[in-house]
Amino acid sequence: MSGITTGGLTVLGYFSPLIFLGIVGFAILGLSILKTSKKALSWITFASLGISAIWLYLIFPNGTSVFDGTIVFNQFGLYFAIVMIISAMFITYPSIYGLKAKSEIFYATLLFVTIGMVVAAFSYNLITLFIAFESVSIGTYVLASFGKNKRNLEGTVKYFFTGTIATAFILFGASFFYIDTHTFNLAVLTASTPSPELTIALIFLIVGFGFKLAIFPMHQWAIDTYDGTENSVSAFLSAGSKVLAFVVVLKMFLVGFSSDLHEVYYLFAVLAILTMTYGNVSALSQNNMKRLLAYSSVAQAGYLILVLAVVGSVGNTNSPVAAVAVAAGMFYAIAYIFMKGGAFITMNTVKGDNLQVSDLSGLAKKAPGVAVGFSIMLLALAGIPLTGGFFAKYLLFLSLIEGGLWWLAVIAILNSAISVFYYFRIILYMFGKDPQKDDIFNLENSFKIPVYVSAFLTVAISVLVIWFPTMIGIAPGLFR
Amino acid sequence: MLIIFLLTILISALSFAVQGRRRDYAMASSGIFLILTVIYSILRFHSGYTGGIISQETFNIASSIGIVFSTGVSGFSDALLILSAIVIFLSVLITEKGKYGESLYSYILITEAGLFGILLSRDFLFFYIFWEVVLIPVYFIVAQYGGPNKDSVSLKFFVYTHIGSVFLLLSIFTVYTFHYEATHVFTFEMSQLMVNTYFSQIPAFWMYFAMFGFLLAFLVKMPSFPVHSWLPDTYESAPYPGTVILAGGLSIMGGYGLFGILMPVYKSMGTGVMDLLMALGIISLVYFSLSAMMQQSLKRMMAFASAAAMGFVTLSFGAGLVESGYSASLELAGGMFQIIAHGLIMALIFSALFYISRSTGHESTHSLGGIFREAPILSSFLLAGLLASLGLPGLAGFIGEFSILVGVFGAIGWLILIVIFAMIVTASYHIWAAQKSLYGPYNEKLGAIHDADRATTVKLMGMLIVIFVLGVVPNLIYGILITYVGGII
Repeated sequence: MSGITTGGLTVLGYFSPLIFLGIVGFAILGLSILKTSKKALSWITFASLGISAIWLYLIFPNGTSVFDGTIVFNQFGLYFAIVMIISAMFITYPSIYGLKAKSEIFYATLLFVTIGMVVAAFSYNLITLFIAFESVSIGTYVLASFGKNKRNLEGTVKYFFTGTIATAFILFGASFFYIDTHTFNLAVLTASTPSPELTIALIFLIVGFGFKLAIFPMHQWAIDTYDGTENSVSAFLSAGSKVLAFVVVLKMFLVGFSSDLHEVYYLFAVLAILTMTYGNVSALSQNNMKRLLAYSSVAQAGYLILVLAVVGSVGNTNSPVAAVAVAAGMFYAIAYIFMKGGAFITMNTVKGDNLQVSDLSGLAKKAPGVAVGFSIMLLALAGIPLTGGFFAKYLLFLSLIEGGLWWLAVIAILNSAISVFYYFRIILYMFGKDPQKDDIFNLENSFKIPVYVSAFLTVAISVLVIWFPTMIGIAPGLFR
Repeated sequence: MLIIFLLTILISALSFAVQGRRRDYAMASSGIFLILTVIYSILRFHSGYTGGIISQETFNIASSIGIVFSTGVSGFSDALLILSAIVIFLSVLITEKGKYGESLYSYILITEAGLFGILLSRDFLFFYIFWEVVLIPVYFIVAQYGGPNKDSVSLKFFVYTHIGSVFLLLSIFTVYTFHYEATHVFTFEMSQLMVNTYFSQIPAFWMYFAMFGFLLAFLVKMPSFPVHSWLPDTYESAPYPGTVILAGGLSIMGGYGLFGILMPVYKSMGTGVMDLLMALGIISLVYFSLSAMMQQSLKRMMAFASAAAMGFVTLSFGAGLVESGYSASLELAGGMFQIIAHGLIMALIFSALFYISRSTGHESTHSLGGIFREAPILSSFLLAGLLASLGLPGLAGFIGEFSILVGVFGAIGWLILIVIFAMIVTASYHIWAAQKSLYGPYNEKLGAIHDADRATTVKLMGMLIVIFVLGVVPNLIYGILITYVGGII
């Protein structure tokens, strides 16, 4: 253990924001004795997440590596840590609606999950990565099971079983990884040479993490789970948890397999094409609102993993194109949280479950603000300008062209043109049709405000493009 | 001009806050924009314009990766700015009080902001953004206020043009990336990317890839054969204010793309591309004219007529760039003039048609008939529009077609007979349409119909005067266009 260069207390200090979150989590569990209202709990959660994000930013030991390179504090990790904290903050308030009982467990679990996410953002070791990832998974199984009806149960069970299978795959892949390289440290592995063991490890790890990222053909659970769970939990699963999987995949395959980038390129190019196309084409024929959004989030995962294809095809993690690609992924992640999370949260404004697209008919007449807000998120998902989604897609496709993958860019762009069909169908229903039944919408302010906020953030995020050069600057942090 | 543009954005955003009197608000603001644009043009283009781009301004946003907002006005885009201001103003004018929801006026104003943005942007990023932004309000105009089949038609319109746009985006990326490889400078500036010295250095495959992306995007908007099928449906289904915007405002986008964006790099394109464009132009012309002849609905017929007129534009672009000297500049300026004249004429025709269909409830040739007896003023305006559209000397449509026809002979030789054939077809169905619906025995089933009131007459008269003035004194803008062409070839 010669790598420990700092004193134990200092290292503990680095983790203080996480410890704080944990303490708050237990405190919330304790508060159940006092019968604290769920609204108060949600604000406590919100505030503590915000505090920990700021705390993390303030004490941030940039460039420090602890535990022999297991945890590396760099700005790349910080960016994703904060993005994931935001994704958790994003659902604290809207989730009140879905919580019928035991809300303290929900919020405490949310905090514990966030801890796992932040650890995953910084870790560069297969074991810590796995544990952090698994702690998030177990937490999200709990979150997903909040709710009592049958569909909910079905979704959760599917999620749990496929998640467990994915875990097995990850462990299996990790063991092959170890056989070949005799270490679990990802950053050290850069020196190793390609070998059959590494290829087996690569495939098993892709399958394992692919489940979590819900890429084709490992996506089927996601459709039922997003459909079955509470709207805010779907938002978290499809936004926060997907961004986590994205970070882990980036680290796993671009850092861990940096000697084998060619195979990473082939696999991810093929997977990206299949995922995008499958997600978009299936969404075309969906009438169930949440399943439609679920398929669209499968398609979005396809866009996200284009980053790996670009870096893989460039083959050199030091090249500027790789930095641009990773930075594009970073931008996509934050835009994605607001547009996708917001879209799921908007579903709260419609009563009942098993929503159909036609249930949204006439929303524009009843609540123009909500309809416009939701349209903004849909436009962002389709990648139409003036929204954050446009710049996200734009930068991603730009990096594809810079990487010389113009054919992949053509496929991706055609896919995004296909996706316009189903996003606009929803908009048509909202603006062009009359309401089917009276009293189908929840139009109290507590439902409207989250929609306004997410629509505003979806647009406002495009301002971040100003800092895109900065993101390019911190993106190479991934590779070391 | 930049200030006017920022004002359009501000005004269109604020319009959502106006409740109750949004029509007056839109009318006042679009009128003011028209006046401001005209004043700007008189100040800047009255004398001393020597080609190229003036009033350039640049704002750095993230300049290290080339994201800057840079603006400028050329002689051509200035003419289109005035045209779109006129068309938008007219489209607000012809709406009736209370018939459409309030949102329509916001959409119209956003369209104006988007069109101004397209014409002003001198960097590809913002050009593309505005290019896409224009689609959204127009989509909503069709989807919310359209006629039958509005759902599928508006979707078709959006997806069709969006696919064109994404290829535009790919092309932009391509030229951007190769510029970085050549110079290690990230830039979206058209003044850097769309110059021959750079463009011809791109490897041949990529250059054609980029060029065909640009062409596809522009030809879809034009629209040209074979990517036109969104047009007749959309024109027919859109509410009349929307049709006026589509025919007068949006049709300029394709033409501006060709003459404003692609023309500076024409030397790199090679004659093969030009031949292709000429062929597409001629095919569009003939095919759309013949299709128009088959139509019963006047609105659909005029949609095809509009597309055929844009065939002239494609033809003039292709032919003008393979020739040189006087006839080339004649043709190119003629093509640009045609874009402008076509926008004005179509706006007049669709407005007149709007009033006719409002008072009779019909818009197909066989259910109208002889309405000149009951509504002489409206009929005369429609007739004037039709005559202008078929190219009657003395009206604006003639100038463009004539100068194209004179110039094009050198490029296509005796194939010009096909063009003349198409012109004859055009003339004949225009006249037939007028004869069947306006003259002849009155269709008594229509009952008593209202003729135009004074306000309507003034609106249409204003439009007709503009067309007439441009027909008699084309040099008002022709000179600027020739200068603009001279700055490039």
